[in-house]
Amino acid sequence: MICLALAVDAKSLVKQFGSVRALDNLSFTVKPGEIYGLIGPNGAGKTTTLRSICTLILPSSGKLDIFGLDVVSQASEVRKILSYLPEESGAYPNLTGYEYLEFMAKFNQKADRDVKSMVNEAVELCGLGSRLKDKAKTYSKGMKRRLLIARALMTHPKLAVLDEPASGLDVLQAYNVREIIKRYVKTYGVTVILSSHNMLEVEYLCDRVSFINKGKIVIEGNPRELKTNYNSENLEEVFAKVAGYV
Amino acid sequence: MFKGFKTVFIKEIKELIRDPKILVGMILVPLIMLPVMGLVMGYAVTSVEEQSQGSTLVILNNDSDGDWSQTFVTYLSSIMSVQVLSDLSPQQVIDQKLLATYGSTQFIEIPAGFSQNMTLYLEGDHAITTNVNVYGVFQGGGMFSDLGSSEIVAYVNAFNRAIAPDVVLTTHSTIIKDQVQEGIDPATLSMLMLSQSIALPMTVMIMILSSMQIAATSVAMEKEEKTLETLLTSPVDRFAILMGKVSSTVIVAGIAAVTVLIGYSYMIGSITMGIPDTINVDLVTLGLVPSTFGYIMLGISLFVTLLSALALAVIMSSFSENVRSAQALVSYIYPLIFIPSIALMYLDINTLPTAIKAALYAIPFSHPMIASKAVIMGNYTTVIFGIIYVTIFTIIIMYFASKLFSTEKILTAKLMLKKESKKKHNDTN
Repeated sequence: MICLALAVDAKSLVKQFGSVRALDNLSFTVKPGEIYGLIGPNGAGKTTTLRSICTLILPSSGKLDIFGLDVVSQASEVRKILSYLPEESGAYPNLTGYEYLEFMAKFNQKADRDVKSMVNEAVELCGLGSRLKDKAKTYSKGMKRRLLIARALMTHPKLAVLDEPASGLDVLQAYNVREIIKRYVKTYGVTVILSSHNMLEVEYLCDRVSFINKGKIVIEGNPRELKTNYNSENLEEVFAKVAGYV
Repeated sequence: MFKGFKTVFIKEIKELIRDPKILVGMILVPLIMLPVMGLVMGYAVTSVEEQSQGSTLVILNNDSDGDWSQTFVTYLSSIMSVQVLSDLSPQQVIDQKLLATYGSTQFIEIPAGFSQNMTLYLEGDHAITTNVNVYGVFQGGGMFSDLGSSEIVAYVNAFNRAIAPDVVLTTHSTIIKDQVQEGIDPATLSMLMLSQSIALPMTVMIMILSSMQIAATSVAMEKEEKTLETLLTSPVDRFAILMGKVSSTVIVAGIAAVTVLIGYSYMIGSITMGIPDTINVDLVTLGLVPSTFGYIMLGISLFVTLLSALALAVIMSSFSENVRSAQALVSYIYPLIFIPSIALMYLDINTLPTAIKAALYAIPFSHPMIASKAVIMGNYTTVIFGIIYVTIFTIIIMYFASKLFSTEKILTAKLMLKKESKKKHNDTN
C-alpha cells in the first residue's frame, strides 16, 4: 500500500518563524523513483522544505506525507526510510572516515555482518580508499562531501534528500559527486529530492524541477519542457525570466 | 614596520569587547563577584559578632559561694545578658542540652576555688593563677567562627584591667560532637580546619567549571561541525542521543569525583601528620576527619552535583550555534557556582538567617561544600537531603532536555536568529 503512495506529497505547507513566513502554502508532489530539484534564491524556503521533509522542523500548517507517512505523527517511521544530506554538513573530526560510516550504519543495521556490508558499500561509493583510516579532520572539502554522500546513500533509503550535494566543490569533484548520485539512483531506483544553485547540476540530474521564491512554488516542470516553453537555452535563463530579471 | 597597526588594533578591540566570554571575565567577575565576596566576608564577621553579642552568655559558676566569682558574674551581667548555672560539670551542661535551651554556642566556667585563688593572688602570692574556662561548640566552622570566644577573652581582659593585670587567665576548650575536649583551643582548631574548608570548595569550584566547559561543547560541537541534523534525521531515538551525551559525561563526573576524593583524603592526611606535637590537637582522635561512610557520602554528593552541572551544560549548549557561544552561555551560570563556594568558605551555613540558608540550599552546586563540613560533623541527614535534592534537580533538567531534543527547538533557535538577522539585513537594504 505504501509503495503506491507518492514519495513526497506536500499540501498547503506553511512554516512561520516568528514574523517570517518561510513556507507560504507550498504544494508539490514527487513520484517514486523520480529525481526532483528545488531551485530558488537564498532564503526562498528550499532548506526549510527539505528540513520539513526530514522531520527536523514541523510545518505550522498543511500536510506533508512521505511514502504515505505523516511527517508529524509518524516522524520516527519517516526517519527509517529517508536519508538526509544537509548543506555544508560535516563528519566528526576525531573519528576516522571508516569509523564515521560504521557509527552511522549502526543506526540502520543491527547485525555486525549487515553493518559491515553497508559500510563496505559506502567505501566503494566514496572512493576514498586508504584515506578512510585517517581522521575526518584531515580531509579536504571534496573528500568530506564524498564521504557524506556515501553515508547518505549506503542505507538504500527510499527517499534521499540532498541539500546542495556538490556545494563548494571544484568542477571535477562536483562531476564525481553527480556521477555517484546518478549511478546510485539508476541502480537502486531511489527517489531523490535535491536543492541546488547549480543549474547545470539540476538539468543533468533532475526529472522535474520547481522554482521556489518567498516560500511559494513559482514554476514547476521537466527541464526540457521548461526551456521550450520559455524559449530559453538553459534553466538559468528560464528562472531569470520567471523572476522578472530578463 | 607599523603600517596597518591601527586598523588591526581597532578590529581586535571590537572583537574582544563584543565577545560575551570576555565580558563575563572582565565585568561580571570583578564587578559582581568581588563585591559579593566582600559582602560575604563582612557578613560573616558581623553575624559572628552579633551572634555572640546578642546571645545569652551561659556562665557555669562552680564557685558559687565565693565573693570574687559573684563579682565576676556581676561584671559580665553588666555587659551582656547572662544565664548562670552552678554545680554542674561542663559535660553535664552539654548532656542536659542547656546551651541549646539558652540559644548559645559557648559558655564560660568559673571553676571551684576561683575566689580563693583570686584572694591569694591579690594578697601577693603571684605563683597562684586563677582561670576561667571558655567552652565553644565547634560546628564545622568558617573563617571567622572563633570570633565569639575572642570576644569573651576581651571581656576577661577588661575585668583584669579593672582589678589587677593578669589576675584571671583564660583557658579554652572545645565541644566537638557533644563531647567536651579539654584544652583544645577553638582558634587553633579553626586554623587547622580552615585549610579544609577552603581547599575543598576551591577544588570543587574549579572542577565544576572546567567540566561544564567540556560538556558545553557536546551539542555545540555537533552544531558547529554540522553533524547534528544528520544525527537527528537518523533512525535513532532522540532521547537516546541525549542520554548518550549525558552518560558519557557521567564517566567524566565519576572520574572527577574520585580524583577529588583521593586528593582531599591525601590533603587531610598531610595536615594531620604535619601538626606539630606542641599543638595538642589530633584531628583523628577528635573525630574531625571523615569516616569511610562520610567519604562515600561526600563522593556521591560530588558525583550527583557534577552530573547536574554537566547535564545543565549540555542543555545550555543546545541553544548555541557553536562551541564558543556555548561556552559563553554556560559562563552565565558561573555566579551560581562562585557564590556558594566563596560564601561557604567563610560562613557556617548553620548560623545563617533562614532566607540566605534556603538560597544556598536551593543552589545545587552548594551541596558538596555543605556536605564536606557535614560529613566531618557526622551530620549525614544534611548530606543525604542534598543528594536527594540534587538528584531531583538533575531529573528535572533531564526532563526538559528530553523535551527540547524531541522538538524542532533544538534547531529553530538558531534558525530564528538567522531569519531575523536576514530580515534585519533586508530592512536595512
